Amino acid sequence: MSKKIDETSGWLQRFAAWVDGDREPPDRTLLVMERRPHRDFRPTEEEFERREKDRLRKFFNWYPIAATVICVVMAAILLTTVMNMPGFGDEDNPINNEVSERYLEHGAEETGSENVVTAMIIGYRGFDTLGESCVLFLAVAAVMILLLRDEKNTTGRELHQLEREEAGAREHADLILQQVAKVLTPFIFLFAIYVLLNGETSPGGGFSGGTILGAGVILFSAAFGVQRTQRFMNRRTYSVVRTFGLMLYAVLYGIYIFIGANGLPNHLAGMILLIDLAVGLVVACTMYGFYALFSRGEI
Amino acid sequence: MLSDIIQNRYAVTAVILFGIGFTNLMLQQNLLRKVIGFNIMDSAIFMLLASLGYIDGGVAPIVGDRGFDPLYINPIPSGLVLTGIVVSVSITAFSLALIQRIYRRYGTIEMRELLDRAKKEDD
Repeated sequence: MSKKIDETSGWLQRFAAWVDGDREPPDRTLLVMERRPHRDFRPTEEEFERREKDRLRKFFNWYPIAATVICVVMAAILLTTVMNMPGFGDEDNPINNEVSERYLEHGAEETGSENVVTAMIIGYRGFDTLGESCVLFLAVAAVMILLLRDEKNTTGRELHQLEREEAGAREHADLILQQVAKVLTPFIFLFAIYVLLNGETSPGGGFSGGTILGAGVILFSAAFGVQRTQRFMNRRTYSVVRTFGLMLYAVLYGIYIFIGANGLPNHLAGMILLIDLAVGLVVACTMYGFYALFSRGEI
Repeated sequence: MLSDIIQNRYAVTAVILFGIGFTNLMLQQNLLRKVIGFNIMDSAIFMLLASLGYIDGGVAPIVGDRGFDPLYINPIPSGLVLTGIVVSVSITAFSLALIQRIYRRYGTIEMRELLDRAKKEDD
């Protein structure tokens, strides 16, 4: 019995020592230091490198197997889950609950938009969409940080090469592309404006319209070169439009909230249109910005 | 089993696409291919979400005077997919920009070579 207690206390002591870690009792400092084993000798450089390489090789040997196993297991779990999902297209699915009913029944009169999707993303969930616009804005900012050329991160050789490429593109202009762009660009802009302004009553709205607008600008820029694009879209205009879109959205939605989004008076029903326009500006600028930054590193 | 699969065909397709994308993301050594795998995963999720909102015989949720009262599909998943698309576009652009910078710095976008070169530069 007493032995058992001893054992327990020894175990406890060891546990306490483990919890305390390296803390040494002050009176036995010398003793403990003497008893402490020597440190491992430091591996030499080559030894270290060899070990590191070995570790990396082992990792690369095991990684594909582990990854495959994880992928297969995950796909299997997802497939079994799908088998137990409610049927596709069933009216009584749990997803068709009272929220969507409310949107469908009262969306048109509460937000003034017949298209319930637009009513939802701009009216009921406007803050969410404001966040999305901010995400796009920040994405362009981040890509700008990474890719924008200036005198610090561009060598003369790169600049020279870029100039040569541009001169070559101007000399050997793609005739088919230019003619097609000449015909198509106005219609693309027209369609973009149509989609932008009709987000309330038909499929469309800020995001799709803005993307089409951006695509039109990209087509123009690809066909006619940087110089002619920069006549209406240089860096200054670009940042002004982009910031203006986001600010317009924030201000308009702020007004929308403070006036009382629910039970809005009728004369503010057109606000959805303006917010759609603001979103469209941000999205179009984002699209064109990605294209310009990735292709030339400048706007 | 088979009837389950046919019943939930969109979800099954989405899961298969997701698996393809995930495998790409995990197993490809090329960073660009990893990004493509990520995009395939995104598409799978959008497809699943968009298919969840559908109701048999429903029409697009544009409430107008049609003279009768049709069955509308659920508008909420369509709106949520929009959020997903925005995030996906942003992430893709950001990672592609990072890859371009990596290529300028190290001259490769293969994972192994990249690790080797980065280690060599550390020493």
